Amino acid sequence: MWKTPFGPIVERVIEVNGLTRRFKRTLAVDDLSFEVASGRVTGFLGPNGAGKTTTMRLILGLDRPTAGQATLGGRPYRSLRRPLTHVGALLDATAVHGGRRAEQHLRWLASSNGLSARRIGGLLELVGLGEAGGKRISGFSLGMKQRLGIAAALLGDPATLLLDEPVNGLDPEGIRWTRQLLRSLAAEGRTVLVSSHLMSEMALTADHLVVIGRGRLLADAPISELVRPGTSLEDVFMELVSEGAR
Amino acid sequence: MNTVNAEWIKLRTLRSTWWTMGIAVLVALVLTALGAGAVISRWDPGQAPGQAAMGIVVAVYVGVILAQLPLGMLGVMTISGEHASGMIDTTHVATPAKSRVLLAKAVVLAGFAIIGSLFIAVPGYLYGRAVAAEFNPSALPADAWPVIGGGTLMIVVTTLLGLALGALLRNGAAAMAALMAIVLLLPFVARMLPWGDWANVLLPTYPALQLIEQVPDIMPTWVAFTVLGGWAVVPLIIAALVGRR
Ligand SMILES: Nc1ncnc2c1ncn2[C@@H]1O[C@H](COP(=O)(O)OP(=O)(O)O)[C@@H](O)[C@H]1O
Ligand SMILES: [Mg+2]
Repeated sequence: MWKTPFGPIVERVIEVNGLTRRFKRTLAVDDLSFEVASGRVTGFLGPNGAGKTTTMRLILGLDRPTAGQATLGGRPYRSLRRPLTHVGALLDATAVHGGRRAEQHLRWLASSNGLSARRIGGLLELVGLGEAGGKRISGFSLGMKQRLGIAAALLGDPATLLLDEPVNGLDPEGIRWTRQLLRSLAAEGRTVLVSSHLMSEMALTADHLVVIGRGRLLADAPISELVRPGTSLEDVFMELVSEGAR
Repeated sequence: MNTVNAEWIKLRTLRSTWWTMGIAVLVALVLTALGAGAVISRWDPGQAPGQAAMGIVVAVYVGVILAQLPLGMLGVMTISGEHASGMIDTTHVATPAKSRVLLAKAVVLAGFAIIGSLFIAVPGYLYGRAVAAEFNPSALPADAWPVIGGGTLMIVVTTLLGLALGALLRNGAAAMAALMAIVLLLPFVARMLPWGDWANVLLPTYPALQLIEQVPDIMPTWVAFTVLGGWAVVPLIIAALVGRR
């Protein structure tokens, strides 16, 4: 159903509803509700510790919510069959085994969802690892690992992408490349949710922003609405975060 | 099947897998050859062909279970390594059913352990027959099968117990210590206790040693197989249930 709306139709693909996650003393995610539509880049913004990673892990079924739920096309992630064909995710790019070659890492991942290994070569080219595909990951820089993580996310040609701080540690060229890739993926009609703690980066990448602080929703609006004449997005962010802290 | 394929690719694309397997097989083969040679040299010249064949099989499977600890370590690392690197999250994003991942790892490791045991047993057996040629050993006698089954099962059990402990404890060193305690230390301690026989029946090592005819029989063969097999199945079920939370 929700794999088809490639095109201009804006559809709510990711739905987060009253999502709450408490770790002993910290309330990492606090009654959070928002929706992510297809065909645009949605920036998921908040200072460090705001709960972005926890929210993404909850959406991906890696962690169980204390309350509320997150669904993809109306279904919880864990109920998806061959999930990589629906959703591509990049959480922690360094969480890979250094002993494998890049191409081997993608091969087991493809196999786990019954995907053909034929796309691997092309994907490695696409993310700029054409030369490095046969090299062991232990020799990769952080930027190369981020690129490998993006290739892994694209493996199943998913309609939805969830990327947690994908430009962290990238050089300016890598940042620019990632930005353009995300924009072109959204232009193809895909749903792109990308987190960052950097307002300036999101201002250039996202069409829509979901801003959180201390696990709570602070804003959910198109970028154009958030920026008023005479204020920078940075100012708006600081204002939102300090209001949220009160 | 996809999950099994993926786990097989994971296992075979790590050099440590082949190093561990290579060293385990090599060391066990050398010790098997030395052990078989020593045992055969002490045989009485009147040894019947059937007894000779049986003696070779027993010597070979004593060698096979020497490879259990490296393979147990492989079982541990298969899962603790993913926890250490954080790659376990990628595994679960790709395959949300955790118990399916654990089962696939178990299938791949069990197959790997069986093939490893054959790499020790087959050359060891042929070598034994060559050394014992003067006794004209017969083809495999019927009572060799419990020995073959028991020795093979022991190496599979230790590998899968390593996997279950790695899944439960997540930490490789802790899981390895627990594995050695169960397989080596506790049976040793049990021998010195008054109720040691009961502990021996319940731990995996004595049933295995009984099946490969290294210790006196204290339980029926089917009990030995059941207890031994239980040490592979039950900890894996516990790990799967704990992982659901
Ligand atoms: N596994 C965990 N155990 C305990 N606290 C956690 C855990 N994961 C995250 N937290 C806490 O939850 C809060 C939100 O963290 P996180 O989601 O990583 O934020 P962000 O990704 O926005 O930087 C932080 O206070 C963090 O310390
Ligand atoms: Mg984070």
